[in-house]
Amino acid sequence: MVRAEDGFEAVVAAHHAEIHRYLARVTGRASDADDLSQETFLRAFRAHGTLSPDANVRAWLFAIATNVYRNHLRSESRRRRAYTAAAEQPAGAPDRPDGTALVRETAARLDRIVAGLPLRQRLAFTLRKVHDLDYETIGTSLACSAETARAHVFQAVRKIRRALDEARPAGREASR
Amino acid sequence: MSRIPPGCRAIEPDLVAIAVGEGSAAAAVAVVGHLEQCVPCRETFERYRAVEALVAELRRVPGPDPMAARAELESRLVDLRRRRLAVGVFASPLGPVLLARSEEGVVAVEYLQAPTLASSRLARATGAELVEDRATTEGLFADLLDYLEGRRTRLDWPLDLRRVRGEFHRRVLQAAAALPYGAVTSYAGLAARVGVPQAPRAVAQALRHNPLPIVIPCHRVVGSDGDLTGYAGDRLDLKRRLLGVEGVPIEGGRRRPAVERRAMYVRPFEDSEYCLPTCESVGRRPLRELVLFGSRRAAEAAGLAPCRTCRPDLHPLRP
Repeated sequence: MVRAEDGFEAVVAAHHAEIHRYLARVTGRASDADDLSQETFLRAFRAHGTLSPDANVRAWLFAIATNVYRNHLRSESRRRRAYTAAAEQPAGAPDRPDGTALVRETAARLDRIVAGLPLRQRLAFTLRKVHDLDYETIGTSLACSAETARAHVFQAVRKIRRALDEARPAGREASR
Repeated sequence: MSRIPPGCRAIEPDLVAIAVGEGSAAAAVAVVGHLEQCVPCRETFERYRAVEALVAELRRVPGPDPMAARAELESRLVDLRRRRLAVGVFASPLGPVLLARSEEGVVAVEYLQAPTLASSRLARATGAELVEDRATTEGLFADLLDYLEGRRTRLDWPLDLRRVRGEFHRRVLQAAAALPYGAVTSYAGLAARVGVPQAPRAVAQALRHNPLPIVIPCHRVVGSDGDLTGYAGDRLDLKRRLLGVEGVPIEGGRRRPAVERRAMYVRPFEDSEYCLPTCESVGRRPLRELVLFGSRRAAEAAGLAPCRTCRPDLHPLRP
């Protein structure tokens, strides 16, 4: 019946693992990646019939996943505001109890720095550097232009470099 | 903070771009030229390269195992797909109608109050997820139009009876579906067919909840006096019209329409012959024991032969 539905199994097969990994990276929790990837694909399933045949399905899924994640952050922060226990959590820092388990030690350092970046820079960096999306697609995911998406990635790279510098023994160029 | 020379400041965006592998060829030339003469920028460049190396490492780190999540997703999709119905709303000669089908078959035909999905009872029912999809449903509508305009006598669609409430309703609807085109019987007659001769009201209830009117021809079931009671709420006009299409004669005006029994051919259930309404053997029997036909053609299309006593073939009711 509803055409293009048979195609949806193929969409899941081709992209589920990658979307799951993306969400694991940005949330820092395997359990959140499970929930949010499921939500991403259920939304995609509902909208799949309206997708044009030549659409870039992968880019489209990343856009949905990013949206799902941002909604999740909003509801998380609502929950946090509702409970005073949230005071333990420094504002802005993501909740990452099992996050470090996801990465090896050297990469973990970078991972922690990325986690501390502003949301858009963090997402743009992850989409670009980990998942190789082009700036046009990242712009679509973040509701901004390709140019702005690129600027987010570059800002992220600068900040990461500086953060790594700070971790090094103080040098002549550390402040640059 | 140390003061940064203007030349270094100007080259910085290109330096970052080249370090992360994204700059243009012209930018590469400019950056290489600058790095040859500027030691601090060379160090900065190396540190950007170090970031890249770390990123490469980050990419190699596997994510958590997605297979459990995927299995759960797939079972949700199976469920979602089952609940999902393709629907279309169409302007029919009987007013706006909704047609709904699943992957298995047609699930519902619904008369609407207004030509909108929102006015549909199906849209408010739980457990169904409706997706407007004219492409999938317009073929059904074309068949329905053919039927309503007399160009076809059957809607032999694959049916999905998920909206039939229980076994008894299913039996009643199956019995109604067996009534031939152009024929009527009474609720009591149908009750006898499904083995509950004492319960014509239960039969009427089951027909009232027919999710597939027209397709399952509950309009071919009338009151014991031949009166057209109960259809789609109080839409007797629809019942009258559907029977009219099939050539069933109706009398009694708009207030109290009824099939015109004396103008119809008669066949006792189980019999393989049809008779004139005046035929001695059947003329006085109650409607619950009979099926009435609006025309000889309808009777013969149902596989019946003319009675050899009253000879409806030699003395037709209407020329």
